[in-house]
Formats: sequence, C-alpha cells, structure tokens
Amino acid sequence: MKRRLSWWQGGILMALLLLFTFSTFGAGRPLGASTYVPYFAGILFDLDPEKYPYLKEVHNAGAWEGVMLLGALLGGFVTSIFITKSFRLSVIPTGWKKYKNNSVVSRLVWSFVSGFLLIIGARLAGGCTSGHFLSGMSQTAISSMIFGGVVLVTLVVTGKIFYKSEANE
Amino acid sequence: MILDRIETMFTTVANEPHGSVWTVLFIGFLFGAIIQYTRVDKFEKIAGFAMLRDTVVPKMLFLAIGLASIGLYFLVEAGYASYHIKPLMLGGIVLGGIIFGVAMTIFGKCPGTGPISIAEGRIDVLVGAIGGILGGLVFTLYFDKFKVLMGENLGKPTLLEYFEGHETLTILIFGIGLVIISIMIPLRQEFDEADLEKLKELEESDK
Repeated sequence: MKRRLSWWQGGILMALLLLFTFSTFGAGRPLGASTYVPYFAGILFDLDPEKYPYLKEVHNAGAWEGVMLLGALLGGFVTSIFITKSFRLSVIPTGWKKYKNNSVVSRLVWSFVSGFLLIIGARLAGGCTSGHFLSGMSQTAISSMIFGGVVLVTLVVTGKIFYKSEANE
Repeated sequence: MILDRIETMFTTVANEPHGSVWTVLFIGFLFGAIIQYTRVDKFEKIAGFAMLRDTVVPKMLFLAIGLASIGLYFLVEAGYASYHIKPLMLGGIVLGGIIFGVAMTIFGKCPGTGPISIAEGRIDVLVGAIGGILGGLVFTLYFDKFKVLMGENLGKPTLLEYFEGHETLTILIFGIGLVIISIMIPLRQEFDEADLEKLKELEESDK
C-alpha cells in the first residue's frame, strides 16, 4: 500500500478539490481555512454576534468553514490511522529538536505565541494559505498575489533568523 | 449554550446555497485526507521550507494553483462557477502577510494544516490552536482598531482585468507558467526520522 503521496499527486488532487468546491456541483464558493477561528472563538466565549460587527461579518463564512474543518479533522485522523500510520502523541517536532532546541517549554510557548499571531495575521490579510494562496491566486486576484509574495519572503527571512543553519548534535 | 451555537453552525450551512452539510463535510474530509496523505502538515515540510530544506509545499501549491486557475477559468466561462475575489486592502495584506509569515515559520503550521496535525496527535499544535482561538477573540473584540490598520479598500482587481480581451491567453500563460515553476523548483526533502522509523517497520511487514 502506498503510504505517501508525492507532491505532484497531491497538487493534482488539491486542484481537483478546489475546482469541485468552486463549482456549482460542489459548494459554489472558494475554499478557506482561517475564518473559522474567530467564529469558534465567538462560540467558546459565547459572544453575541449582534454586538460584535466582526462576528456578524463572518457569520456565514465562519459556519461553512467550521463544518468543513470538522470534516478535515476526521479526514486527517482517518488517513493518519489507516494510511500514513503517522498517528502518535508528540510534543516537540523532530525538526525543532534538530534546528532549534530540545526544550518542551520553549516549543509550547513559541507554539502558543505563533498560533496567536498566525490568526491575527490571517484575519488582517483576510485569508491564509487556503483562502489567499490556493483560492485567491487561482482567481488571479491581485490581493492574493501580494499576500503570497509577502508571505514567501517573510518565511525565508524568518527561517534564516529563527533556526540554526546546522543541525544540533 | 455552546451546543446551541454549534447547532446554529450546521443550520446556517444547511440554509445557505453553498452545498449541503454533507457536501461541506465531504470537502473537508478530502481536504484533510490530501494534506495528511502528502504529509504537508508536518513541521519539517512547512518550517523546513522556510529554512529552504524542503520544497514539497511550494511545488504542490504552485502546481495546484496553476492547474486550478485554468480549470476555474473555463468553469466560470461555462457558467458552472463564479469568481469570489478578496478585496485589496494594502495595509492588511502587507502587515497581515508579514505577521502570518513569521508565525507560520515558527509554528510550522498554517490555519488549514494545523487541525490536521492535531488529528494525528501533535500536542504542541493543540497548544498553538488555543493561542489561535485567543487571536481570533482579540481580533473580534478590537476589530475597530484592526480595521484602521487594514487601510482603504482598493476594490477587487485581478490579473485578468488588466488583459481585457485576451483573458484566455492570459490564464493559459499564468496557469502553465505556474505549473512549469512547480516542476522547475528543485525537489528537496527534510524527513522526520521519527515518522520514517514506523514506516520502515510497516514496509517490512507489507512484504
């Protein structure tokens, strides 16, 4: 059994899924995956959408992505159990140990902070890797191309500064 | 209360014309499965790309965008889909892009791949998701202030508009160009030994 898909198999499948989602046979809308986060925050902290303009703005998109995300969790879980066999509990990624450090506290604190910033950044820009890169650039949206360029440059610069250039012993 | 709100989430989707609840769950299931099956949710793939040690993410992204851009154009032409362009708000796009890029490098996840890592048991990503929910809360509470940072809405320009009259040629050059780029980017891979160990055992048992 094939345990991993190559980049081109994944790319073709992702393109087909994107087209299905956009088409009237599927959902008739783009694929996005960051609006659900403030939507879930609204649910968990029991904020009234009538009082918060942003929650009102994302009411429909947030719900759509919320349901989509539940499907994604299930899809990821089932695939990790039956196909990739990669399900295991772990706290520090191997790459973090190799190019950063071996500290649980460091990884968890950085995860928390970067998770927080990730959503602030995505909501400021109005999209993420799915909404801007995949869906936006497929529509040749200028906003998404600028976002893509800024993110690519920032990734490489941050990667150079934040991680070690040689693997730890 | 929370249960009521979750019920509202499903009824909102059911009442909208964007696919039945089952269709949306199905799209999500495939999204999670493709990401999991190609392993692009892994820290080594995303942070690895930021370190230029792994190129699977950009190769897969550019290929998907290239193919989808051409397919989508013809779907729209045939009346089976429509464009939904995000507005250009320079402050938000540039500032948001920088914050997003820094966070994605350190976290080694993005909002779509994060949940799929949690589904395969990554505790650090779960902690990051709690940070993310708080980020969503802060953004919601101080939306009026963030909105000032986002700047003026400059409309929804697209590349196709700039080449009016030559849309088909433009989309073919754009799409095929991206596919060529995806093939040209040299393939580099940063593997997670912890992941591969288990795989070796499995491959032995498969034989």
